[in-house]
Parts: sequence; structure tokens; C-alpha cells
Amino acid sequence: MGKYVIKRLCMALVTIFFVTCLTFLLMNAVPGSPWLSEKTPSEATLAALNAKYGLDQPVPVQLLKYLQNLLHGDFGVSLKMQKNRDVLSIILEMFPVSAKVGAIALCWAVLVGVPLGCLAAFKRGRLTDSFLRVVCTLGISMPSFVVASILLVVFAGGIQALKIFPTLFDPSQGWKTYVLPCFALGFYPMCYTARQTRSAMLDSLNQEYIKTARAKGLKNGRIIFKHALRNALIPVITYLGPQVAFTLCGGFVVESVFSIPGLGRYFVQSIQNRDYPVIMGTTIFLASFIILMNMAVDILYKIADPRINLTKGGE
Amino acid sequence: MAEKKMKRCPVSFQPDIEEMLNAGSLSPEDFESASQTEKEEFIPDRQSVSYWKDAWRRLRRNVVAMVALGVIIFLVLFAFVGPLLVPYDYDQFNKGAENLHPYHYSLEDQQRLEAEVAARTQTGTKSVDEMIAEAQAEAEAKGEKLSTVDIAKIRAQAKVAQQNAQGGESEVDTETLRKELGIKKKLFGYSADELERKAAGEQVFPHVFGTDMYGRDILVRVMYGARVSMSVGICAALLVLLIGATYGAISGYCGGKVDAVMQRIVEIIYSVPEMLVVLLIATALKPILTEFVNTQTGPLRDFVSVLGPNLISLFIAFGMLYWVTMSRIIRGQVLQLKQQEYVTAARALGASGGRIIRRHLLPNCIGQIVVTTCLQIPSAIFLESFLSYLGVGVSAPLPSLGSMATDALSGMYTYTYRLIIPSLVLSIMILSFNLFGDGLRDALDPKLKK
Amino acid sequence: MSEQKPKLLEVKDLKVSFFTPAGEVKAVGGISYDLDYGEVMGVVGESGSGKSQEAYAIMGLLQQPGKVIGGSITFEGEDVLHFSKEQMTSFRGSRVAMIFQNPMTCLNPVYTIGNQLVEALRAHDKSISAEDARKRAMEMMEMVGINNVEKRMKQYPHEFSGGMRQRVMIAMGLICHPQLLIADEPTTALDVTIQAQILELMKDLQKKTGMGIIFITHNLGVVADICDKVSVMYAGRIVEQGPVDDIFYHAAHPYTLGLLRSMPRVDAESYERLIPIEGTPVDMLNPPEGCPFAPRCEHCMKICLKKMPPYVEVGEKHRSACWLRVQERLNREESADE
Repeated sequence: MGKYVIKRLCMALVTIFFVTCLTFLLMNAVPGSPWLSEKTPSEATLAALNAKYGLDQPVPVQLLKYLQNLLHGDFGVSLKMQKNRDVLSIILEMFPVSAKVGAIALCWAVLVGVPLGCLAAFKRGRLTDSFLRVVCTLGISMPSFVVASILLVVFAGGIQALKIFPTLFDPSQGWKTYVLPCFALGFYPMCYTARQTRSAMLDSLNQEYIKTARAKGLKNGRIIFKHALRNALIPVITYLGPQVAFTLCGGFVVESVFSIPGLGRYFVQSIQNRDYPVIMGTTIFLASFIILMNMAVDILYKIADPRINLTKGGE
Repeated sequence: MAEKKMKRCPVSFQPDIEEMLNAGSLSPEDFESASQTEKEEFIPDRQSVSYWKDAWRRLRRNVVAMVALGVIIFLVLFAFVGPLLVPYDYDQFNKGAENLHPYHYSLEDQQRLEAEVAARTQTGTKSVDEMIAEAQAEAEAKGEKLSTVDIAKIRAQAKVAQQNAQGGESEVDTETLRKELGIKKKLFGYSADELERKAAGEQVFPHVFGTDMYGRDILVRVMYGARVSMSVGICAALLVLLIGATYGAISGYCGGKVDAVMQRIVEIIYSVPEMLVVLLIATALKPILTEFVNTQTGPLRDFVSVLGPNLISLFIAFGMLYWVTMSRIIRGQVLQLKQQEYVTAARALGASGGRIIRRHLLPNCIGQIVVTTCLQIPSAIFLESFLSYLGVGVSAPLPSLGSMATDALSGMYTYTYRLIIPSLVLSIMILSFNLFGDGLRDALDPKLKK
Repeated sequence: MSEQKPKLLEVKDLKVSFFTPAGEVKAVGGISYDLDYGEVMGVVGESGSGKSQEAYAIMGLLQQPGKVIGGSITFEGEDVLHFSKEQMTSFRGSRVAMIFQNPMTCLNPVYTIGNQLVEALRAHDKSISAEDARKRAMEMMEMVGINNVEKRMKQYPHEFSGGMRQRVMIAMGLICHPQLLIADEPTTALDVTIQAQILELMKDLQKKTGMGIIFITHNLGVVADICDKVSVMYAGRIVEQGPVDDIFYHAAHPYTLGLLRSMPRVDAESYERLIPIEGTPVDMLNPPEGCPFAPRCEHCMKICLKKMPPYVEVGEKHRSACWLRVQERLNREESADE
């Protein structure tokens, strides 16, 4: 088990390194210096600026320097959005808001998605199943901006009676302000989870040990909840990792639509403003977060499934 | 009798021997040997159903998948044939037809309304001068005189009141007026100019979904947007197929160290958060390629400028990141098939590696390849719309369903349909591809059928 | 045998069909047999002959779209097919148990062996305390020849070898002392040496507990070893049925003969060849009018292609459904007449 964790950690670090290098090189290859879009500064000012931010050195040196700084927690400073502010401090200020919205969204997605998936599996082939199947497929077919816009139109449109939830982020409204963004963000993961649960559940119900359980004379409820569900939930865990990534990226759109002052909206703004240090810093931060979450989920999976951690030892 | 010992059920399928013997229904020739042909004729021909025929039969029975296929065909026609039928272009500014709703009022109705509004305004709001005159009369009655400051105040108030009347309030007024007059909305949007031309007997093609703030026809833009989305989806899926299948087949076939190294690479790419990196690539490549187009010449430049920098960056992103799932599937299949005897036989006959992959391995995993490719299309469309929505997707003026939705956000309460129509088309498109892909998977791989 | 006491199991004209999209597949087309207390019956047939479905029908375990469409199953005088859901649940596991072909997949991988054994016991005996149940489970495990029980109880199925898992399956089946055990190819998935051990164990347990066993297999060797009587199934029908010795030494159906000839024998002369049965089984989707084995039968006659053969008694409790036997009997009657 320890060996597996270490191996997985190494893998994650390599991936983070890969993403970091890719980010740096891509951002470096962007033509023109980041100062050009403002009023054109003089040659001397440009040189001074470049020297100040280390942009006059060769690329590999810059990369090494950047990596070194990253290790010290120095993500550089914002060049435009909040001039000269430390990127890491921006990220640390914005991320908790995104994380809160994302976590709520993911929670409701799993808490609703799993039971719905089970329900569809039990009613396989019946009307409930077909209905849920189409709804869930629709859910994974609607980009988050579509869901968000529909919510906006419904809850902020012409009908006064429906204006119960604020469509613009306003923490003074308490929980109400989280309802719409979290719904929009969690809808896709919810449907995805339901679909995965359904197929995992059906797979589990088709296993021979279910036949054994029936032959033992167990009651239906016990067969489903003790024998089928436990086995079905194990693969569902593995889908959590990608869901975290998806929720964070969906946050870019949803935070922009609902004006949530989170990292996602800030990231989108920094892309539009071409604030490269912020783009790089945020990308590397979010990518690392997602990669580490994936790793955690994988390890969790190994723990949940008794077959793996013992048969394969540390593999 | 010995027979009586075996109890026989009265409804048994097995005929009773006593009955048969007693009835004398058996003739001696019944006990002659049957010829080979008789034996062969005996077995009713079981139609041998080929894999594809069988899959098609299963698919055809899947109502949801068939409806989805119908919708896909409709959308393809809509996106690729549609623009030929509509006389507008996606970047054509129709002067005088800005901000049209997808409905219109007929000329007579408009005149009736105007007359009614004019009649009411006369009695309703007063002009600025009237108000000042009134105030002055009032002041004189009290024996005072209005100062210039007072007059300016009244003037300002009156102006505000008038603006209000023209703006929000009169809007509500015309709505209620229309109701009172029984004026109904008519389908499709026409500009005033177009209505007159139509009244003059000219054939005018309506703006079915209205127009945007520049007077561009939304129907045509949605068609082009759908075309872009679909092309991106299909091209990306094919790209993924090409790279994934090649990589997976080589990795699985070679095995050993090559496989180990290749799989490490796959593992690294697999844990990269795709959407984030795609966003990054799209962001970075946009200026890089724009610069490239502006400074370079030659066929490559032309190619890039035709596709547009954003589509290229999208494809690069797909080519870099999205093939891993496909390659894993193919590798798994290849590993499984590699053990089977016919591959050994082919190898013993001296077939080369490439030939074995082409002739023996790929045909056997074709089902899974088709399904995975088919399900790749909606995910590519999904991603493209996501990028376009964030403004780093397809470049303007070429429309994309995602960017149309972003553009519509600003006026979404007045012009809701501008947001809803592209979103709906997009969702329906992805939904149909997903449902069809699901159906295809059920049909092609009965083992996976749930 | 006394007429008052009902047999352990009586199956009469049982028919099982699967309603697939392509049409009705008659997996079991009317079979009858009975089994007495303590009797061991072998059911032999090739894959798809309906032998497993017939067993599932007894257990009420038929999977959609399978259905019992006719006949009756009587267990100790009770009509199994008309049990309510609750009756069926308490019937399964306590009075009749079943073990399956593949012990690798039949145990739930996420629960310990002990957990699964105790569960089987407590499903039928609600009053038993957890501690007693654990003791019983351990006894059962010792009985099926598992050592180091204390530790084994806490292990997961993947820590057991195939043979050990089959032992666990047997222990689980027998933990409630059922009168009937249905073993659906219990040794097919195991190594030959392990097969012998499991068979030995089953024989032992049968003697100890006196339960009846239906032993489903396609291996005639196994049948000779353990069974009292044998039913040979082909295409959803019993083509021959009788005491084990009669089947082996006086086989009366060409299919049985074919099976016997295709079986390797230790005592055979070295030049004796194994003779496979030519051809493939019939399509169960549209079974032919006549004898289903006719196209593969070397003695095929015209009538075989037209009519289903009746059962003919060929010995004490030994009957066979073949026109050849009918012909023999007709000839015998003729010569008796003369």
C-alpha cells in the first residue's frame, strides 16, 4: 500500500511538472511582450520592465527560475489585473470561494446522482428507467453555460413569483445565493454520476455472487443494499476524480455567469486581459489540485476494494 | 407391465407409446433409414446473421437511438444544406433589421397601434412647454412669479417624465394596448422595410429566429454555428481515432519495454486535467497563430488562415490529450487478441507486423472503435462550445453556438431567444449524438448491454 | 416405497421458455423425473441442453426473460411453482441449496468469508445469536476440510484458491441442512486433482447428511463416480433416464452412446479412438417436429424426422426416447405373436 502511494505520488509530481513546463513554454511562445497592449512604452522603459521581470534571459533559464520560484511558493506578480500583486495571494484569496461552491455542487451531485442511478437500475427497462436515462443524457449534453443561462432566464426573467433566488452573487443573502450556481455546476456531475451508478449497479446485479445471494435465500432488499450496492459504489469512486476537475472547469463559466468572485471568474478575466503570470499561476495551481485529487481518489479506491490492495501487494 | 411403473403426466409432451402402438399409426417404411439429404432438410435453415446485420437489427429496434439518428440527420441537413436555402449570410449586416424579434406585427396592426398611441398621448402626457405654462399660471394665481431656477427644475422634471413615458412605461402601455386591440404576434421577424417590400408583392425571406444587434440573421448564424460544431466534433473524433488507434495498436502489439514506456506516457497524459490545458493551449495559440498568419506566407499560412487559429488550436489540443482513452481501448483489445491463435498462425506464415495489425487485429476491435469514436463527437462539440463561450474558441466573424450564447448574455432578458436558440440547438445536437452513441454501443457490443 | 410419503422432489412435464426478441426459445421442453430422499441424480448434457435452466426453475432463480410455462415441481408434497415470494425466499437456502460452476465469481469479493457464511445461516434462523452463528460457520468450514478456520473466516474470497472457494460454497450451501443440494457443474472450473477432492468431499457429506443431490454436469465420469441414477438431456428433453449402471452398460439412446464413446477411458485399449458426436445441436429457437437428435444420429430413420419418439422402458426404471427402441419392441411383439 505504501509503495503504491509513493508510486502514485511520483506519477502526480511528474504530471504537475509536465503541466508546468507546458504552461510556461506556451505562455512564452506568445508573441509580443505583455506590455504592448497598453500605450506603447519607450524602448528604455520596455528594457527596464523586461529586466525587472527577468524577461530578457533565454527561455530555459527563465523556466528554471520560474520552477525554482514555484518551489518557494512564488508564483510571480500580476502584470495587469491587480498590478504587482502576488499571484499566490490572489489565488489563495479567490480559491476558497470557488472551492465552497464546487464542493456544494459536487456533494449534491453525488447525493442525488447515486440514488437516481440505483433507482434506474432497479426499474431497468421500465418507464422510470427510460425517463431517467433521457434526463441524465440530457444533463451530460448541456454545457454548464446552457444550464446557467436557463436558470437565469427562469429565475430572473419576467415572472415575479420566481424571483426567489438571487442570480447575482451576494453573500448577504446567505444560502439562497448558492442555490442557482451550485445547481448549475452540479447538474452535469449529478447526471454523470447517475449514469455511472446505473451501469455499475446493473453490472453488479448481473454478477454471479448475486445469484449466490439469492440462492442463499436472502431477501431482495438485503441483496441489493448489501451485496450489489457496495460493489457498485466502488467504481463510482473512480469517477469522482474527473468530476472534481470538471466541476472546477465548469466553475469558470458558472462563476462568470453568476458573478461569483471566485478563482474561475478571475481566471477567465485574466485570459481576456492576457495577464500571463496569473494565467500560469492559476493553471498550475488548479492542475496540481486536480492531479492531487485524482491521486487521492485512486488511493481511496484501492482502500475501498479489498481485492486490490492485498492481491497485488503494492502494485 | 413395466411401463406402468413410470408415472406419466397426462399433458406430457412425450407421446404415449401404447397409444401409438394401438392406433397402428406406424408403418414399416417409417423405420427405413433416412437419407443424408432428408437429414439435412430436417434442420430448418437458421438464417446466419452477420455481425453487422445483427447489430443493425438491434439498433433499429432501439427507438431512442433511431429518433436520435433522425435528429442527427435533420441537424446535418440543417447545418449543411440550410444555409443554401436562406438568402442571408452569417456575416451580412441587414440594415434596418437590427434587433428583430422572431415575430412581427403586420403593417395594418402597426398603423392601428400607432393611431391609438397617438390618440392616447395627446390626452396623456403633456409637453414641457405646457407644463411650464401650467406652473406659471399656478404661480400667478398665488401672486408669485417663477424664478428661472424654478423653470429649469420644472423643465428637467418634465423631461424625465417624458423619457419615462417613451421608455419603460410606454412599453408596458403598448403591450396592454396590443392586447386591448386584439393585435396578435405573427411568426418570423421582418423589418419595417421588409414588410413594406412584402406588401408591395416582393418575395422576402423572413428572419425566422429574428436578428441580432447588427442585423445579422440568427437562423443562418445558428446553421453555421451548428456546421462548425459538427465539423469540429467529427474532425476531432477522427483525429483522436487516428492517433489513439495507431498508438494503442503499436503499444499493444510491441509489448515489453516499448509498451511500458508508452504506457507511462499515457498515464501522465491521462492525469492531466484536459479542459484546463485545452483552455491554456487555445489561449496561447490564438496570438501565436494570428502572428503566424500575419507575418508568414506560403501554403501553410493559407491553411492556417482558412481554418482559423482557434480551430487549429482546438485540434492540436485534441491531438495532444484526448486520444488516450482510445489508445487504451485499442491496446487492451490488441493484447487480448494477440493471444489468439489466428494471429500466431498469421505470424507463422510470415506476415509482417503492420499486416497483422491491419488485417487481423483492427477488424476485431472495430465495434469498440466505432462506439468510442461516435461518443467522442459530442464530447468534442461540448468542449468547443465551452471554449467558444469563454471567447477562445472559433474566431469571429465565424459564428459558433457557444459564442452566440455569450453574445446574447448582455440582452438576455429582452432577447431571451438569442440565448435560448443556440443553447437549445447545441444541447439537442450533443444529446442526439450521445443517445445514438449509447444505442450504437448497445447494438455493437451485446456484452455491454445493460 | 410407500405411497403416502411424497418423494423429495417430483418434477412433471416442466417447461421453461425464454422470450427473446428473436422469438421463444424452449430451453426446457417438458421433462419429468423424481428424486427420493438421499438419492443422487446426475443430469448430463452438453452446453445449452437446458440442464442448468431446469435447476434454476426449481430454485426460482430463472432470469428474465426466462419463465416456467408449464408442468409442476413438487418438493416434499408442496407445489414449489405456486410459492409466494416470501415462501420462495425461505425455501431457498434452507430446504434446497445450490452451488455454482464458477467459485471464483460466486462469492462477493468485498465481504469476508465469515460474513457471507454467517449471513446464509442468519437469513433463515433469525433467533440464532451472532456468536452461535459464527461457531456454526466455523464448524461447517472444518467439515468441508478447511484448516485454520479462525483466520480463514476473516479473509476475503480472493485470498482463497478455486478449490477452497468451492469448499466455502459447499459449506455455505449446507449450513442450513437442506434436504436437497443442486450442484451446477461444481467441478468444471477446477483443476482435475481439485475436482477429485471436491467430488470426494461431496460424496462424504452426502453420506453424513443423507441429503439428496442433483448433480449437473457434462462429464460422464463424474456421474459414474457419485450418482445413483442419471438423466441424459438433449435439446431441453430427457432422452434417457435410468440407474447409473444401466446407463453405462446398457445405454439405449444413440446420444448416450455417443457421449460414452467420446469419453476417454483409462481402461481402453490403446488403439481405441475417441469418437466425437458429429454435427451441432439444434437451434432451440425453432425446434424441429421430430427427434431433435435425428440429424446427428447415425441410425436416423424416416420417422425420426417426423415424430417425437415416445419413452420406451428398456429395463428396470430405465427408459429411453428413441424410435430404435420402439422398433425393437414392435419386432419383439411380432415375434411373440407368431
